[in-house]
Amino acid sequence: MNIKHLINTILILLAFALVFSAAMFGLNFITGPIIEENNKGAEFAPLLAVMPDADNFEEITSTLAGVPESVIAVYKETSGRGFVVRTSASTQYSKEPMEITFGVTADGKICGIQLDVYTDSIDFRSKDANYIDSYLEKDSALADIGTVSGATYSSTAFKDAVSAGFSALISNSLIVEGVKSDAQILSEMIPTLAPGMLKTEEVAASGNIEKAWGAGNDAGFAYVVKNGDASFLALVNATGVCKVYDVAGADVTDAQSAIADEAKAHASANQKSYTEDLNTRVTKLFADASDIAPIELSTFNTVVSAVSFKSNGAEYYGFYSRSIGFHQMDVFFVIDANGAIAKMDAKQFIFEEEYFAAFGGMNNGEYKAGFEGLTSETWTGDAAVIATATMTSNAMKQSTEDAFAAFNSIKGGN
Amino acid sequence: MKNFFKSCLLRGTPSMVLALGSGFVMASSADIRAALGMGAAVLISMILTSIVVSAIHKLIPAYAKLPVYLIIITGFVSIIQMLWQAFFPIVVDMLGAHLAALAVSAVIYRDAEEVADHNGEWTSIKTALTTGIFLTVIMVICALIRETLGNASIWGVEIPFLANYKVSALAGAFGAYVVLACVLAAIKKLTGAEEHLEGEEHE
Repeated sequence: MNIKHLINTILILLAFALVFSAAMFGLNFITGPIIEENNKGAEFAPLLAVMPDADNFEEITSTLAGVPESVIAVYKETSGRGFVVRTSASTQYSKEPMEITFGVTADGKICGIQLDVYTDSIDFRSKDANYIDSYLEKDSALADIGTVSGATYSSTAFKDAVSAGFSALISNSLIVEGVKSDAQILSEMIPTLAPGMLKTEEVAASGNIEKAWGAGNDAGFAYVVKNGDASFLALVNATGVCKVYDVAGADVTDAQSAIADEAKAHASANQKSYTEDLNTRVTKLFADASDIAPIELSTFNTVVSAVSFKSNGAEYYGFYSRSIGFHQMDVFFVIDANGAIAKMDAKQFIFEEEYFAAFGGMNNGEYKAGFEGLTSETWTGDAAVIATATMTSNAMKQSTEDAFAAFNSIKGGN
Repeated sequence: MKNFFKSCLLRGTPSMVLALGSGFVMASSADIRAALGMGAAVLISMILTSIVVSAIHKLIPAYAKLPVYLIIITGFVSIIQMLWQAFFPIVVDMLGAHLAALAVSAVIYRDAEEVADHNGEWTSIKTALTTGIFLTVIMVICALIRETLGNASIWGVEIPFLANYKVSALAGAFGAYVVLACVLAAIKKLTGAEEHLEGEEHE
């Protein structure tokens, strides 16, 4: 190709390029706004799903203060219909955090809610198809929203994520906080006052008991009990000890002894006893164990049974903790009179199971021996760690700390 | 006329005989909407390219034809892509880069270079129209098989009674090869492709 051909070719190409550029420039006036509208529609599709009558949205996350970490983004509906919040939540069963989008009307009620991403191994939607819809029309109090039986962690995480979204709106005065009933305030105190009652599920109530919950790990029962116009929270642990609290969280057990008696009667009729199991384990660990006597505990943790006994002339205390890791854990501790762990054992060491694909095996004897001699002062949690088994490790930590707490309560601590 | 259509189907529809454009036929045949969207894009770009090329081919020096024809095809494909983004965004989402890649497709260039460059507008339009329609029909047939049996859906709407019997492999690249091969074989058998092509060669 000579230089003339080259120049001709370039000129012809330039001419065609100009013609097409001009055509596309003109066409862009027609298609540009439509494409922009389409893109906006795709971006806002999850938002429109929960607030279908919205005109447009404006993201306001960066303008808000005190937004909880789990809140991904907050959008304001530009015509004043309300807000849409995108939040996330994780449980120990999550491969990835679940993502939730919900719309809140200007008067603070949920107008639409959907689960955008969900990877938990247990799907609470299959256990309760109406659970998500039960949030509709609720305000930030989320009254009567409980958890899903069999998927407690996932549904609790879902509820917490929604509460976090509401909190972002309320703390920035975008909506008015919903008013909680006394029963709701009391029920929300259960995880704080009785942290060992795991996977609580509602059970049948009777008499003055308005609502009753049983712990999935059999660590006790919680009740909202009516006395005149006032409501109280009564907690009964697995050893039959009861405490009563008012809506301010004050311990009013002595003043409300009738409530305590009613709660204890209900719990006694429904509580599964683990004393026999603990006795058997103690005699297995200490063949010469004698004077085995059950002990009532003032703690409300995962310890479901406690006994004192003697072995070789020395005094020991046995504790049965039921924490929850990947599965239910049944862990036994024997603590000597000085507060040091003499033995640790478990009904089934969960880490022997096949589900730990990456688990390379461990020496159970060494693992158990690692607990011996530890006291609540020297306990750091390291002894409970099992590589690649985070959930079991955490459950072991909780059980150990709960056993120490139960021992300290016997020895005149709290 | 019958011979013309047969030529268009067998010789003029590239993916049938030369396996040109098989890539976008397979990429577009997982869903009927995608197949129709791609078919329409090919058809329109071929017609417009044929009109322009047949009108100007005498003015373009031989040494500049390749780049000029390519820029014409690219220009029309870009315009079609803008229109599709505006009016059929779901099709653009499904086709992805394959729609833009049409700009360098041998299918359209071959039509421009072999037909439009040597004939008048009417013949060029008629060939482009017929070839484009055949190509679209083939893509739709493939899509009908793949979407129905591979995804248990049609036009994106789930077919509940097929949900438990779907063959997911058909919706993927392997399924695309298998279905295209079957459709191609069926058309060749039904139309007597080999005899037709041999006949053309002897002429």
